[in-house]
Amino acid sequence: MALLHVENLGIHFGPPEDPVRAVDGISFEMAAGETMALVGESGSGKSVTALALTRLLASPPARYVSGRIEFEGRDVLRLPERELRALRGSGIAYVFQEPSSSLNPVFTIGYQIREAIDLHRPEIRDVTGEIVRALDTVGIREPEKRLNDYPHQLSGGMQQRVMIAMALACRPRLLVADEPTTALDVTIQKQIMDLLKALKQQSNMAILLITHNFGLVADFADRVLVMFQGRIVESGPTAEVLRNPQHLYTRALIECVPKLGQKQRRLKVIDYAGIN
Amino acid sequence: MNQTNFVHESYAQRIWRRFRAEPFARNGLWTILVLFAVAALAPFLANSHAIIRVADGRVTFPIFPSLEPIEWRFLLYVPLAGLAWLFRRRLFARPLGGATFLLALVILIEVWLVFHHVVNDPTNDRDRPAAFKLMPLVPFSPVETASEPFLPPSWTHPCGTDSTGRDIAARMLHGARTSLSIGFVAQSIALSIGVTLGSLAGYYRSWPDIAICRLIEIMDCFPPLLLILVAVSLFESQNNMFYIMAVIGLTTWTGMARLVRGEFLRLSGLPFTLAAQAIGAGDLRVIVRHILPNALGPILVAGTFGVASTILLESSLSFLGFGMQAPTPSWGDILGESRLYIDFAWWLAFFPGLAILITIMSYNFVGEGLRDAVDPRLRIK
Amino acid sequence: MTTYLIRRILLLVPTLLGITLLTFLLVREAPGNIALMKGAGGENGSRAMTAEQREAMIKLYGLDKDPFTAYAEWIGRLTRLDLGDSWVDHRSVVAKIGERIGLTASLAGSALLISYLVAIPLGVIAAIKRGQVTDRAISFTVFVLYSIPSFAAALLLILLVAGGDYLNLLPMYGTNSINASEMGRFEWLWDRIQHMILPVICLTYGSLSYISRYARVSMLEALAQDFIRTARAKGLPERLVILHHALRNALIPIITIFALELPVLISGAVIIEEIFSLPGMGQLMFASLEARDNPTIMGITVFVSILTLLGYLLADILYVVVDPRIRYE
Ligand SMILES: Nc1ncnc2c1ncn2[C@@H]1O[C@H](COP(=O)(O)OP(=O)(O)OP(=O)(O)O)[C@@H](O)[C@H]1O
Ligand SMILES: [Mg+2]
Repeated sequence: MALLHVENLGIHFGPPEDPVRAVDGISFEMAAGETMALVGESGSGKSVTALALTRLLASPPARYVSGRIEFEGRDVLRLPERELRALRGSGIAYVFQEPSSSLNPVFTIGYQIREAIDLHRPEIRDVTGEIVRALDTVGIREPEKRLNDYPHQLSGGMQQRVMIAMALACRPRLLVADEPTTALDVTIQKQIMDLLKALKQQSNMAILLITHNFGLVADFADRVLVMFQGRIVESGPTAEVLRNPQHLYTRALIECVPKLGQKQRRLKVIDYAGIN
Repeated sequence: MNQTNFVHESYAQRIWRRFRAEPFARNGLWTILVLFAVAALAPFLANSHAIIRVADGRVTFPIFPSLEPIEWRFLLYVPLAGLAWLFRRRLFARPLGGATFLLALVILIEVWLVFHHVVNDPTNDRDRPAAFKLMPLVPFSPVETASEPFLPPSWTHPCGTDSTGRDIAARMLHGARTSLSIGFVAQSIALSIGVTLGSLAGYYRSWPDIAICRLIEIMDCFPPLLLILVAVSLFESQNNMFYIMAVIGLTTWTGMARLVRGEFLRLSGLPFTLAAQAIGAGDLRVIVRHILPNALGPILVAGTFGVASTILLESSLSFLGFGMQAPTPSWGDILGESRLYIDFAWWLAFFPGLAILITIMSYNFVGEGLRDAVDPRLRIK
Repeated sequence: MTTYLIRRILLLVPTLLGITLLTFLLVREAPGNIALMKGAGGENGSRAMTAEQREAMIKLYGLDKDPFTAYAEWIGRLTRLDLGDSWVDHRSVVAKIGERIGLTASLAGSALLISYLVAIPLGVIAAIKRGQVTDRAISFTVFVLYSIPSFAAALLLILLVAGGDYLNLLPMYGTNSINASEMGRFEWLWDRIQHMILPVICLTYGSLSYISRYARVSMLEALAQDFIRTARAKGLPERLVILHHALRNALIPIITIFALELPVLISGAVIIEEIFSLPGMGQLMFASLEARDNPTIMGITVFVSILTLLGYLLADILYVVVDPRIRYE
């Protein structure tokens, strides 16, 4: 059975007579432990899709007009509030694009991770030890000393690591990383991606990586979905899609990469393009 | 509304369109306009002289000789409004400019009103027989002893009479002038000072900023009402309208100065300012032509709220007995007098209180609407 | 932080000098003075003074000196915490203020406290129910309250509930009933509370409406932040998301505006004390202004200014306490 099953999902904004079809009938599946990339240009509906997975997208203004989302066999769109909250964090956890505004500025990072653990893993006795371990996993040095830091005392890269630690602390079955590196500078981007890669190998957690950068996708995801104006225009194993993009739009996206990516990745992608 | 309107829309036009879409704000603006009309026409709405009188085969207009020359200014408003309407296309091609121009004219006329006094004219046309006479809506002058004291509201005296038998309705109509023009003019004074000092501080920074900020702090650490009380009560002999306006204006500019300073600090670092400076525009030009227009929205909003609080201040002063001198009626004054008789003469407190409430509320609604129009992030809808 | 505090407190000095100099000159240079007032003979039939007596009085009070010398002398005494004696009853100004500050402070203090206690929940509820009937009802009510002048409200309340032709539930004037001295302790307290209800209401509702409007806006701003989404994504119950994550952030600006409310409340207290005949600072101010009692006017000025400046200082310190991002070094 698939971990996540999305079928004909449609999400609209604005007036019903003339809606903005942010997500326009998409379907896809993810197996446990699988890494998948969701690629598309800005405004194509990636974030809306991601947030919809746990109904984080407030309604109104959003309207879930059609389809179903099944996570571990449960129908998310009809889940009662209480079970939905249990699903958030421990079933599906998120890492967002903007680490500096995604962490609450008035609480220490230790406290914010603690909240997640208290909520989803109440059986843990040594919560502080667990937080330290979580911070350690994401490569924060001297985590004991960092526990009581406030978000503004950390660099952007460290803040994103804390976000990841917080997401992992609940032991989710699916991690949704919505453009986790876009707000960071290039060297930090690589560190964060390496971290995600390492995590992918260590655990049996499925990862949905959202990005508009095909360069990040190439050596990370097993499969890739390409979104364009609220629809999925192409999907398949990453290597295949990269080697032989069917859709014109996918081709354009792939060609975009050399302009956007960093040096090392540019070489790789040109490599793939050369194969084509 | 027509959604696909691609005609170029200026900043001011956009604000105006959003503003009109707010019912409370729109009604607030209408109320204020009506109040101003009432204030301007007060001598024609409440007067002991007939507008038209036909007696002994002669038609006379007794109301006109009884008017002070100042009252003829309503004759200025009528052609002014007419001209503004005729040339509205030209005038409002740049709406901010047009509105500023009109506003300046109105301020000039209202400052003129400052020297207005109500004269006590004992004669009246109510009791004089005539074949035909058309009396004003309220056939009493605000200063005459028209009837018995403490008459409750009735058909003859719709708002009752006060302790000396003067008609409250007539006093309220004339009092509207005091409240409205003081609110307007005092706030204009505060606005001029605040915008000037605020822009100097925000634009030049360094020592002008330090000096002006100190000054603001000094002014701010004293409750405005106390400061005004000191100024007003010490110079009691000079309590004409202009003095009160000046004192209120001179003590309430700090909020505006803070706001403008903040806006200038923000805007003067932005590329368009640097661009203007780069092509060699002088400081004055950069301030007035480039930065100030971008800060107009918040200034307008703060100014509108400021008028409301100024009206409140003035009525507090009059209420406490430190306002205008005796014959000039004002709402706060009537309220202040009502304190002594509050246990039986409710109408003395109710009508002026209601008038002040409605005026202040209208200004606040307009301010609220303007703020939402300028910065639509926080609107309710 | 300590050095910052010391610097801030030192900076209070020039501000205080500025406001006192301003008031001093204003009070002194205004036409008329106490000698003329007393000399004119009171309404109670006291005899008018002779020219010599008047001269002597002007000399006694130092009104013949040039204003800056007089100001320097006054400041000199102020540094020894001596505000001089009243020109009216020759009692020490400090003592006169001292016996009245309690009433004004308790009025303003309870008004501030009640404002916050009521305003924050109102603002939060309005923000959560944004755009719904609840929000509109709260926002509109608060808006109307915000526009009612406190003295008009005071008069109407007196008219409606304190004597007059309608209800007679609460006393109209003063701090206690005439027979208060015969009352037992609790009876006395109850009597006092009854006398304070109307003044406190009149003083409170203005700040209350202002603060709750402010609370609504800053709550809306907090709720629109990214970290709220993070908190929800963690699976936190909505109650915690709002009351913990959002409110904690929204409180920062709300708490710190209390300093701005202080001068407003003191202004308000002046009017309210006058209406309800309460012997507080406001009344003292009126009496001193009327009698041209310069030392008392100056004393009140100093007092109120220091109070306000300390309020600002406290607000700055509170900022550090509630917002971890702000540190003064
Ligand atoms: N709260 C909202 N109200 C109205 N429209 C919205 C809202 N959120 C998203 N949309 C619309 O949904 C569409 C998809 O937005 P989405 O955020 O999913 O894009 P994205 O693919 O994540 O882009 P990006 O790469 O910039 O993050 C956009 O057209 C956007 O205008
Ligand atoms: Mg997105």
